[in-house]
Amino acid sequence: MSELTVIGKPVQRVDAEEKITGSAVYGYDLVLPNMLYGKTLFSTRAHARIKRINTEKAKKLPGVVAVVTGEDIPWTHGESVKDKPFLAQGKVRFIGEPVAAVAAEDEDTAQAAVKLLEVEYEDLPVYTDPEEACKPGCVAIHEDFDKYRKAEFIVPGAMPNVAEHFKLRTGNVEQGFKESDLVLEERYFVPIIQHAAMEPHSAHARFDKESGRLTIWVANDAPFRALHEITEALNMPKEKIRFINPLQGGGFGSKGGLKVEPIAVALAFHTNGRPVRVKFNREETFISTLTRHEAVVYSKTGVKKDGTLMAREMTIYWGAGAYAEKSPTVCIRGSLPAPGPYRIPHVKVDGYAVYTNKPIAGSYRGYGIPQGAWAGEQQMDEIARRLGMDPIEIRMKNIFVEGDLSYWGERLHAVGLKETLVKATEAIDYGKKSPNPNPGVKIGKGFACIQKPTRSPTTSAAGVMVNAKGEVTVLAGTVEIGQGCNTILSQVAAEELKVPMEKVRMHPLDTDVIPYDASTTSSRSTYHMGNAVRRASIHAREQIMEAARPMLEAEMKELGYADGKVFLKAQPQQALPIGEVVRRKLGINGEVRGDGSYTYEIGKDLDLETGHSDHASAFYMYATQAAEVAVDEDSGRVRVLRMSAAHDVGKAINPLNCVAQIEGGVVMGIGSALHEEMVVDATGKVRNPSFLDYHLATSLDIPELISIVVECAEPEGPYGAKGLGEPGLAPTPAAIGNAVADAIGVRIYDLPLKPENVYWAMQKHKKKTAA
Amino acid sequence: MKTKIQFTLNGKSVSREAPTHRLLLDLLRDEIGLTGTKEGCGTGDCGACTVMLNGKPVNSCLVLSGELDGADIVTIEGLKIGPELHPVQKTFLQDGGAQCGYCTPGMLMMSKALLDENPNPTEGDIRYALSGNLCRCTGYAKIIQAVQDAAAILRGSESRG
Repeated sequence: MSELTVIGKPVQRVDAEEKITGSAVYGYDLVLPNMLYGKTLFSTRAHARIKRINTEKAKKLPGVVAVVTGEDIPWTHGESVKDKPFLAQGKVRFIGEPVAAVAAEDEDTAQAAVKLLEVEYEDLPVYTDPEEACKPGCVAIHEDFDKYRKAEFIVPGAMPNVAEHFKLRTGNVEQGFKESDLVLEERYFVPIIQHAAMEPHSAHARFDKESGRLTIWVANDAPFRALHEITEALNMPKEKIRFINPLQGGGFGSKGGLKVEPIAVALAFHTNGRPVRVKFNREETFISTLTRHEAVVYSKTGVKKDGTLMAREMTIYWGAGAYAEKSPTVCIRGSLPAPGPYRIPHVKVDGYAVYTNKPIAGSYRGYGIPQGAWAGEQQMDEIARRLGMDPIEIRMKNIFVEGDLSYWGERLHAVGLKETLVKATEAIDYGKKSPNPNPGVKIGKGFACIQKPTRSPTTSAAGVMVNAKGEVTVLAGTVEIGQGCNTILSQVAAEELKVPMEKVRMHPLDTDVIPYDASTTSSRSTYHMGNAVRRASIHAREQIMEAARPMLEAEMKELGYADGKVFLKAQPQQALPIGEVVRRKLGINGEVRGDGSYTYEIGKDLDLETGHSDHASAFYMYATQAAEVAVDEDSGRVRVLRMSAAHDVGKAINPLNCVAQIEGGVVMGIGSALHEEMVVDATGKVRNPSFLDYHLATSLDIPELISIVVECAEPEGPYGAKGLGEPGLAPTPAAIGNAVADAIGVRIYDLPLKPENVYWAMQKHKKKTAA
Repeated sequence: MKTKIQFTLNGKSVSREAPTHRLLLDLLRDEIGLTGTKEGCGTGDCGACTVMLNGKPVNSCLVLSGELDGADIVTIEGLKIGPELHPVQKTFLQDGGAQCGYCTPGMLMMSKALLDENPNPTEGDIRYALSGNLCRCTGYAKIIQAVQDAAAILRGSESRG
């Protein structure tokens, strides 16, 4: 095809208009005819047996239609470990676990009925520390773990409460440390944080007895996976289950899998065909849906005097919370690249996903990369300091470049990392001290590099329809969660069919009519679904050209295609608009449908003993971010003054959207670096489940943001594109941590860098240097 | 206890019977059916439910129906000026001020409130005015730019950039 017309252009979002006028309908807004209101009783104990639940009083309350408990529904679910009951069965494992649910004629009645439910508990030992929960002698939080159905890649740990043990073994670290001139060993900690999508969680469900069909309306970013999980849990045929996606108000990993869905489904089987809506309020969303893994990271690194990395050994305890959810795969895909984007001959990683009696941890923008980078990238700076080297120089010496063999056994290509490092550090004049007019304030600079794989292998399929008006409808299962996929995928269809963007629309997402897509996760959509939509568009175009051939009385090779028209190459004025072709071939209501799908085939599966694979990911995202910070010496308060973010995106399909993703990720990362943490006490209770006490970054917290797009084309990607949804967050805390250490001369090992943590670290350092 | 209340909503007179403790947010969303006003927290901490009440921005999740008799309320559904988008809606479109869009109605109402009061805000004024409106997607930069550009339009000068 000729040169690109829409791809690479700063096209305005296609979904913005309904969002700025208030007409957009989100899951939380949805009202269904004759619907009932569902409310949930949450566990108040972190680990306890349920001795009995008394539902009698609640059932007698006028207006109550259904009360369900785990005894009524024997179903369990879980993506890779089937460990989670729809409603607690026999025991509870965290404060916030759904125990029972009520459906009533109105919200107030449902709430009143929940208050009438009585549960008698018998307490069990509570584990809130992932390092402690796997020590010998600990009680199993899941005593039936061995009996659960599990994915075949699961490797349970030898210690108690370990749902997954990931191992990476390359070379011989002991020998590597022996050959090193400097060996550094440190412990880093990352606390639990939450996605805090602005739209809280909700789900609507209806079971129609006549047809035997179950319909679920939910803002879920992986509807086909959710459908599969419900199918397996209920042992119902797939055809009997339908997911419809209203708009989704953010997700960041929190809205895949099953969250509120099981409660709505459980109730829907007891309401005689009436639909049920279950909404979580903000506090319920905080304690009962999903969090990001807390992580304890032990990192030991050996280097030569000249900065050559010799060996790296990392042991990571991922706090899974009470159920496995995505912990096994976070543990695998977060632990594997944790040693960083460097050539290291000897590597040993042990990642443990450990059950605790805390809220469930799962996927979160970055999927384990921020935790590893917080440790690994700070340690890189610390090593540079001790060797008297420039942090840029030590990384340049070891950093992955085109053609390198990674320590997990994969030959790397399309590696734009070096360029990101150069550009990000240059953008903030790294290496030069900024003038500092304020006594009592210390200024510092730091940066961090990351690599991020994507979930592989996966499939995306798409349909593209062209009607007799020349309008194009794209059927794609990628969920618009705010990331801009509807704009990107529309651009792909507009490009391949050479029509203006206004002619393209995205079909609403409904699993009854939309082709399969694995999930809207892992920064995979532009690459996978972009390829699928591209193929479907080409397929539609080919059919239209074939239909136009007799109309233009020509051979295929004599036909050209441009501007949404099929034309005769010899006489370009002899042209038929695509809508005209469809109309003449199929009539005024006719539509040509193109189909396309894309599957990335990995090479050998990850070897469970060594963690090696010759092709572990469809593509890798690379980024470097650099921060300049000011630290107030009296209070310990850290302010980020500016932050540059250079990302290798392969090809920017929409430069505006790239900047939007980078800026959003960076600021989310600043929140997690400076103030976000879910405080869970020793009883397992979340102490700050509100936006008053859990601090997101606000408009007052943001620095000058410098977004830089690097394009190191990925040959398999559509137009060379990779992905970009997650990596903006990943290096942010480590870059800020390095900048803080540069400012105050003290390294801080525990996130967040809240004033008291920074203040006490400075005090401790003062005492040490005075002594 | 239910009381009869009469108020102006987006320029039209509305009369309702509602329990005095019914929140303005719930009244708008559940009873009147205007779901453009969003619920993000229900405790006045996120600003997603911001509406104009008698010319001032309020968190509608903190206002009781009992306070509404005789009130003038403007929600996101009433932000357009006739058939035209309000300048701040236009600049949110143009500058990429909305991503998932869930905080957007509240952001827009708060931005309108700021520009009504201060047609020439500094960047600091805008940051301060929007500091009670949480956004998890955009990182705020594009929102701040959109408000600056809307202020320029309202002052009758050219939008920058």
